[in-house]
Amino acid sequence: MSDVLIADDSEFMRNLLREILEEDHNIVGEVENGVEAVETYKEQHPDLVMMDIVMPIRDGIEATDEIKNSNPDANVIMCTSVGQEEKMKEAVRAGADGYITKPFQKPSVMEAIEDVVPS
Amino acid sequence: MKVDVKSLGTFNRLAHEGAEQATASLCQMTGLDAVVDVTKITLVNRADVGDQLSDGDYVGVQFEFDGELAGDTVLVFDRSGSETIVDSLVPGGAEDDAMARSSVEEIGNIMMSGFIDGWADFLETTIEHSPPTYVEGDGAAMLPEPPNDEERDQVFVFKSEIEWIGESVSFYIYMFPEYDPLADVMARTGGTEDDAIPIDKLEVFNEMTKDGTQQAAANVEMMTGIETEAEVTRLSFAPIEDVPKQVGTDTYVGTVVEFTGIPSGFLLVLFDEASAVHIAEAMMPVEMDEDELTDQHKSAIEELGNIMTSGFVDGWANVLQTSVEHTPPRLVHDMGQAIVDPLAAQVGQHQEHAFIIDSEMRTDDIEFGAEIHALPNEKELRQALDELLVERADETQADVEKIF
Repeated sequence: MSDVLIADDSEFMRNLLREILEEDHNIVGEVENGVEAVETYKEQHPDLVMMDIVMPIRDGIEATDEIKNSNPDANVIMCTSVGQEEKMKEAVRAGADGYITKPFQKPSVMEAIEDVVPS
Repeated sequence: MKVDVKSLGTFNRLAHEGAEQATASLCQMTGLDAVVDVTKITLVNRADVGDQLSDGDYVGVQFEFDGELAGDTVLVFDRSGSETIVDSLVPGGAEDDAMARSSVEEIGNIMMSGFIDGWADFLETTIEHSPPTYVEGDGAAMLPEPPNDEERDQVFVFKSEIEWIGESVSFYIYMFPEYDPLADVMARTGGTEDDAIPIDKLEVFNEMTKDGTQQAAANVEMMTGIETEAEVTRLSFAPIEDVPKQVGTDTYVGTVVEFTGIPSGFLLVLFDEASAVHIAEAMMPVEMDEDELTDQHKSAIEELGNIMTSGFVDGWANVLQTSVEHTPPRLVHDMGQAIVDPLAAQVGQHQEHAFIIDSEMRTDDIEFGAEIHALPNEKELRQALDELLVERADETQADVEKIF
């Protein structure tokens, strides 16, 4: 069972992700912006961060960059509504390990997680 | 053909003034009080032209006109409004079908002569028009076949909405100019080359917007299970002060985001209140027995607005090979005009006219309707269209697998 941190400014989406993940994973935290994501990552050191991109205060790409700088072995999957090629490339440059576009179905989320954090 | 902002602005003003003159004629004849609310120029797929009139019962008159500008023009009243007008001219006249029809024809003739004369005066020429043809029915019956041009799926439509003061009745003046004469007039009256947008790029942009709406509809369907179809997409041009009026006075729930990049601007996803409740309930893991919007409903709508926004703008970004950033969605719940007013004011600091992108989606399953309105910065939109490579028009989707 992997420890997962969910970073998304939408309560609805955090609830949805929790429901999808909690059967097979341990949710260690839910945060609403990039600053909280970085802080919580550094405190909890989860196995995986499910990271939204468009968030207030600090966006998910900046937060991913900071997490990866602090720990290059951190695992981050972008979980976002943004389907722009340039944005995907930015995510790669920040060190993201995977990219899921919303809206998603449970199988695609589980598959992406299995690719990054094999069970 | 190139479309330039100066010509569009001039044509919009002419159509508006023509509609005002036609409305003044009506008021003089009937003693009723009416004002021209909005005039806009729209680039729309020919199949969608009559969509706004599809649900009603209308009467009106059509004219053909010919000269330096050529095409068709139509005056449309809803039937009950026309009866009031006829009764004000000939008390009891609305009861007599022949009298009612004759009155509408004559009112239309007088009103539309003024409308067409304004264009002729501006062009310093004469524009002939046919006698009025009485029409009645729904949208398909009211509007003429758009100009027959097999090379073009999209047509320009000039439309004025006239509000009848003190009555919940509107009527409309449509003008469908033929493409080639319009192109010639635009070339003659155009502004600088910097203002000009090749028409093929505008058409491609309109198609991209349609793709974006379809993607947004697909996202709604995936998140809610409600079978949703993109219905109409229009690219309109109107004075900035008229933009809020186009959204109307109904109450909406939805989201507003500000996007930055080329172009920057605002994007609104709006649901009528009943649709907002239906759609939020459809998104909830557990069915909720509530008619009012709860915080959970609002969060669901906010996220849906976020996902629909991305579905809409990602295609632009991918075709233009750029990124369009947008802020997190802000939930709005207010009268349509009140939602749009501050956004139009902000955009209006830099421009007098605006391109407005309107899309609608509907479903047959439950009562559900959604509208997407985009209000881009006009100069930046022109820059984006300048950079648009028409041959990349189909490249709206990014392939995650290729990048990761």
